[in-house]
Amino acid sequence: MAPPQDQLTKISTEATTEFVQSYYPALQSNRAAIASFYDKPTSTILFNGNTVADGNAVQEIFVNQMPPTHYEVQSYDCQIINQTYPTPTATGMKLPNETTIKDISLLVIVSGFVRFGESRDLPQRGFSETFMLVPNPTADAPKGKRRREWLIQTQNFRLVV
Amino acid sequence: MPIKNKKSTQGGRSGTSDRGGIRKRGAPKRIDRDGDMAMVPDNSGSRGKKPHGGSGGRGQPRGKALDVLQQAISSHDSQANIRHGKARGNLEHVRITGWKDSKAASNPDGGIESLINFLEKKLESKLEPKTGPRAKISKSRVEGDTFVASIRPELMGRMLQINGFSFANAVLTIQKYDPSDQPMLSEISQNGGTSSTADTKAKMTNILRRRYYQPNKLLDLSKLGNDPDLNAMGIFSSSSTESKFFPALMKVWEMNFVDPKTREEAVESVSLADNQLANIAVITTLSQAFPNLKNLDMSNNNFKDANALLQWRWKFQRLEFLDLTGSPFSAEPDFKDTMLKWYPQLRVLNNVEVRTADEIAARKKTPIPAQAPHFVDESQIAQNFVKAFFPGYDNNRNELVSQFYDNHTTFSFNVNVSAPRSQQVETAPWDPYIKKSRNLLKINHLPARMSRAYSGVEKIREIWSSLPATRHPDIASHPEEWLIECFPIPGLPDSSGQSPTGVGGLLIMVHGKFDEIATSKVETRSFDRTFIVGPGGGMGGIRVISDILCLRAYGGHEAWIVENPPAISAAQPAPVVQPAVQPAAIPAAMPAAPNGYGMAAPGKSDAQVQQEQLVMQLSSKTSMTLQYSELALSGNGWNLEAALKNFEELKAQGQLPPDAFLPGTA
Repeated sequence: MAPPQDQLTKISTEATTEFVQSYYPALQSNRAAIASFYDKPTSTILFNGNTVADGNAVQEIFVNQMPPTHYEVQSYDCQIINQTYPTPTATGMKLPNETTIKDISLLVIVSGFVRFGESRDLPQRGFSETFMLVPNPTADAPKGKRRREWLIQTQNFRLVV
Repeated sequence: MPIKNKKSTQGGRSGTSDRGGIRKRGAPKRIDRDGDMAMVPDNSGSRGKKPHGGSGGRGQPRGKALDVLQQAISSHDSQANIRHGKARGNLEHVRITGWKDSKAASNPDGGIESLINFLEKKLESKLEPKTGPRAKISKSRVEGDTFVASIRPELMGRMLQINGFSFANAVLTIQKYDPSDQPMLSEISQNGGTSSTADTKAKMTNILRRRYYQPNKLLDLSKLGNDPDLNAMGIFSSSSTESKFFPALMKVWEMNFVDPKTREEAVESVSLADNQLANIAVITTLSQAFPNLKNLDMSNNNFKDANALLQWRWKFQRLEFLDLTGSPFSAEPDFKDTMLKWYPQLRVLNNVEVRTADEIAARKKTPIPAQAPHFVDESQIAQNFVKAFFPGYDNNRNELVSQFYDNHTTFSFNVNVSAPRSQQVETAPWDPYIKKSRNLLKINHLPARMSRAYSGVEKIREIWSSLPATRHPDIASHPEEWLIECFPIPGLPDSSGQSPTGVGGLLIMVHGKFDEIATSKVETRSFDRTFIVGPGGGMGGIRVISDILCLRAYGGHEAWIVENPPAISAAQPAPVVQPAVQPAAIPAAMPAAPNGYGMAAPGKSDAQVQQEQLVMQLSSKTSMTLQYSELALSGNGWNLEAALKNFEELKAQGQLPPDAFLPGTA
């Protein structure tokens, strides 16, 4: 039986807001946490047409190669893609009686600008980014941290201005 | 002939020939076109080398893909005229004078914003109690001391009633205005004693012709006060004609070109040297006639400070050379910093280099250089979909929604009203969209979040029909204006209900622009649109699962021009290691793998994808063909280790025929 639409909208939009409000600040100033946003394994991850292997590689790039970077999210939206996402578990797939309303996958689209470098005089580059978020298959949280309920399965970042 | 000015302008130009950064951005254009076509699946290594798509077995030969697109486009030829048919005639215009004498005229913007606010408030107060849309000035522009406002026809009566009202201590004169009768020219011709508007136009055309140096793309408007022809026309005999002369001249210039593109490309350099200008009020329309100007010589004028140039603060964003020598402003301490801030591409200021080509290139460079689009679309499903979608969205949304959408499809859109722009052009208001925009940053209440997502054919049909008509550029003839990326994704809902693990599909991301043709003026906007398509009952056996659109001010397409190959190798992110589930890592070892093999795709179950991936793994380990690898796996319960063991045994016993192996490996 399908859960009520208002609950699904509430859960999906709040999950997206939580994601957007924690992921971009992490890219900016908590780069050691970047890998924790990604599913293992991930599917396709792209930055400006460059394929990146997984969450660890994304973190590696931001830690070692990126100048201080300021992101500003100006608009974002989401849609539920699969209302009964086949979340894997250690023993295979979740049984029907183990699934919850949170076993949903989300499509997220973000529009904003980014400034590469510290000076505020540097140009604001418009970006568009698409994510697929899937339920976090592991139950345990990293030490002392809140568990992320959804993780990045697919990501495509593009500078568009 | 003003020797000095010509020399310095040429100096600016010759300085451009060694502009590494700019040239390089221009040079790979053809490559970029290929990239933007995005129909060549393999975007690894070889991109950027000629010839394209030569030997590899992967992918559609490029020529064929283009042919297909070309056909698709040519079958829509007849649509070219629709835009003109629809676009015209919705707004009416008034000329407003007198506002230049108001107190507001000393505002940094010349009082324009105050004037618009004043007029809209007056229009609103004359409205019947809150019925219909708000009273607004839809478009406006300044021509000399005339403010031209465009309004909906039903507002005309009210607007004319405002005639004679007092605005910031000045009395406004408001008259109906028909753009075709060119009042500036007729007024100049009256004051100058010449016979007709047409005559004035002819004389101005001659003056422009005399002052235009085609090989240099230079329009020399220096020392206008000494021009015998202009003096003979009596232009400078009254301040009224003097203020109208320049806008009129620009208008005549524009009328001599059939289309804006040719016009903009005709001039790279303008000289306004030696004109005793104290500010740019009279010549401000230059920025409309030549928005992409590279070289501007305004030496030997009398600009006191930055305020004298303030109306060009956001104009000329491509300016590389600027000469303001001889003006007091040049001696101000903030002169250089201000000009650098205003003009991001500025390299030479008052004949001194203020930025190197490298510095300009560095400003544009991104830590992650732009690469050609990632486009993995083995069965050309995304290609066919995109090709059909945008013409359909422009011409028959009603039919389109029935072709690809079903009762589980969701559509929503959001407007980024403050997105960066590529050129400082005015952005048309977002009124037609904003009440339906699902920008979750701003829409916080659950009922609004629910009502702004549209599920099912009927709701999507309804919202689409309420959005302004659009015209997207042809993908085939303007590939550079599109960026299309696509790759397979797993775990989508199976509409047939047969696969509990979900099915594979495609994630398609499109960035581009469209013209909005609902109003009397065509507005260009940019968009980002992401689709998820999966197997279904629509055209081509697919359905759209999700369609999510972001609208923003026009941002150009320069951002996705592929950056230099050397820069890529220097700054490329960590070595690309594909995760095991991505068979894209294998192709080098697997020339025989057919397109799409091992990839998720609409209509393919996840189980099949996994099997194909196992086959490819076994094949790469054993050099056996895909067929033999599949035999080995299916004979061993799809257990890779068992199949490998079996292979070693058979090989040791010499039981494998030569054709079990890939060519050249046996």
